[in-house]
Amino acid sequence: MARYGMVMNVHACLGCRACMAACSQWNQTPFWAEDFKGKWRTRVTEIEEGKFPEIKRHFFPTICMHCVNPPCASVCPTEATYINKDGVVLIDYDLCLGCGYCIEACPYDARYEYELDDLKKDEFYFGEDARHHQAHVDKCTFCVDRLEEGLEPSCAATCVGHTRIFGDLDDPNSEVAKLVNTGEAKPLGNYMGTKPKVYYIK
Amino acid sequence: MDLVQQQLWGWNIATYLFFGGLGGATLALGILAELRFNLNKWFGILTSLLGLAIISFGLIWLVIDLINPLRFLLAFWIAGIGHSWIARGMVVITGSYIFGVLYAIAAFFGSTTFKKWMGYIAMFCGFGVTTYTGLLLNANVGVPFWHTPALPILFTVSALSTGCALLMLILAAMKSDEAEHYFHFVEGFDILLISLELLIIFAYLDFARLGNAAVMKSAHLLMGNPLFTIGFVVLGLITPLILEAFASVKHSAKGLAGVASILVLIGGFLLRYLITWAGVFQYPHGIAG
Ligand code: SF4
Ligand code: SF4
Repeated sequence: MARYGMVMNVHACLGCRACMAACSQWNQTPFWAEDFKGKWRTRVTEIEEGKFPEIKRHFFPTICMHCVNPPCASVCPTEATYINKDGVVLIDYDLCLGCGYCIEACPYDARYEYELDDLKKDEFYFGEDARHHQAHVDKCTFCVDRLEEGLEPSCAATCVGHTRIFGDLDDPNSEVAKLVNTGEAKPLGNYMGTKPKVYYIK
Repeated sequence: MDLVQQQLWGWNIATYLFFGGLGGATLALGILAELRFNLNKWFGILTSLLGLAIISFGLIWLVIDLINPLRFLLAFWIAGIGHSWIARGMVVITGSYIFGVLYAIAAFFGSTTFKKWMGYIAMFCGFGVTTYTGLLLNANVGVPFWHTPALPILFTVSALSTGCALLMLILAAMKSDEAEHYFHFVEGFDILLISLELLIIFAYLDFARLGNAAVMKSAHLLMGNPLFTIGFVVLGLITPLILEAFASVKHSAKGLAGVASILVLIGGFLLRYLITWAGVFQYPHGIAG
């Protein structure tokens, strides 16, 4: 039993999007889609703030927040969406009806449709190693399969700027726990009552 | 805060919400007519089956909207009934089918007590279908305009009003005294419902004026869309209200009530579409860029 969480140090993000590439390769998500906004488990969005000539640009990485009180799971009719023993919010693809209710309910835009066309592409690119075999809703899993082998999620392992810090929030000596417990890292949109386990240093 | 108009739910879902509500209300009001207003058994049988047919037609649109429509049988796996409105909706829909059909069979064979029990349970389920269509949208916390208890009330009142409209069209074509009597009851009831709907819409938009950026944006979208202001409010609510009020004081003005009914039905559909269309996500800044 652990309580996995992630801290995003936004200041350290270079905008290289290596995390998006690593995630989409490992998890075989639709990198064949055309834009940086569509079907990704993690996105790095470019944000502009201020007015000319004082424009500041920075990059903002997002993933599923692995909420303690996830609206996506509340609306799921089949319990395809569930929380595992380590606090990771997952989807059982065999049970997913594909109603998309969770996509609409997630207030962090963390979910997307893995459609029949995407299945074909997955098979085209990965052949026998293809990991998606039915249409379903998809989102970040904190790379549960890697966690089981003692590895970090693929995005955190690849991160060039030490933006993505992953660990067990229950272990007071972990870097994530320290950043969260000192109040340096804060969750997004906590006013919604979702209690995210991904925190931001902004 | 990033405000983003939702794109995922469109015509398919709106069509489902409309026909689900209309079918549920037709079932409930049709059975009520037979059980309490002395309409004959054929009226009860036909309206209950018509209600079920309308619900079925609506469900087709929901299935089309699934990522893979062939997986629709999973909808009967309602493990999430403790928290999900789709699961709960499936229960009341299935209940409507089972008890609606049992009621129709009992009515056909004239078994009074059994028919009553089945009829009342079917009415309850039909009413449940009308209510749940609003609760479905209500559960989306990221869309503040939907995440208010006003929405299920609005949809329930509107669904009952469209049910009344459809029954008026049927009753207007019938010649018996009982049909005449029930016609007037439904007409009066619909006047009440439309008035309530106007009040709720007014309160809803007024609440939006007071704040929360996403709710304000939704309200702006609606107020700037002639389909809403002219299509729904003027032609779908105010005009039928005036027509029905006029028809109710003049006897043999069924033509007017018929026109009003058609407007109410179109208005009900527009309302479902527009409320869905005007959903605006309020994402924490950075999520949507
Ligand atoms: S971020 Fe969205 S998808 Fe992830 S747990 Fe929270 S509500 Fe569910
Ligand atoms: S799309 Fe799948 S995971 Fe999402 S609510 Fe429907 S059944 Fe649950």
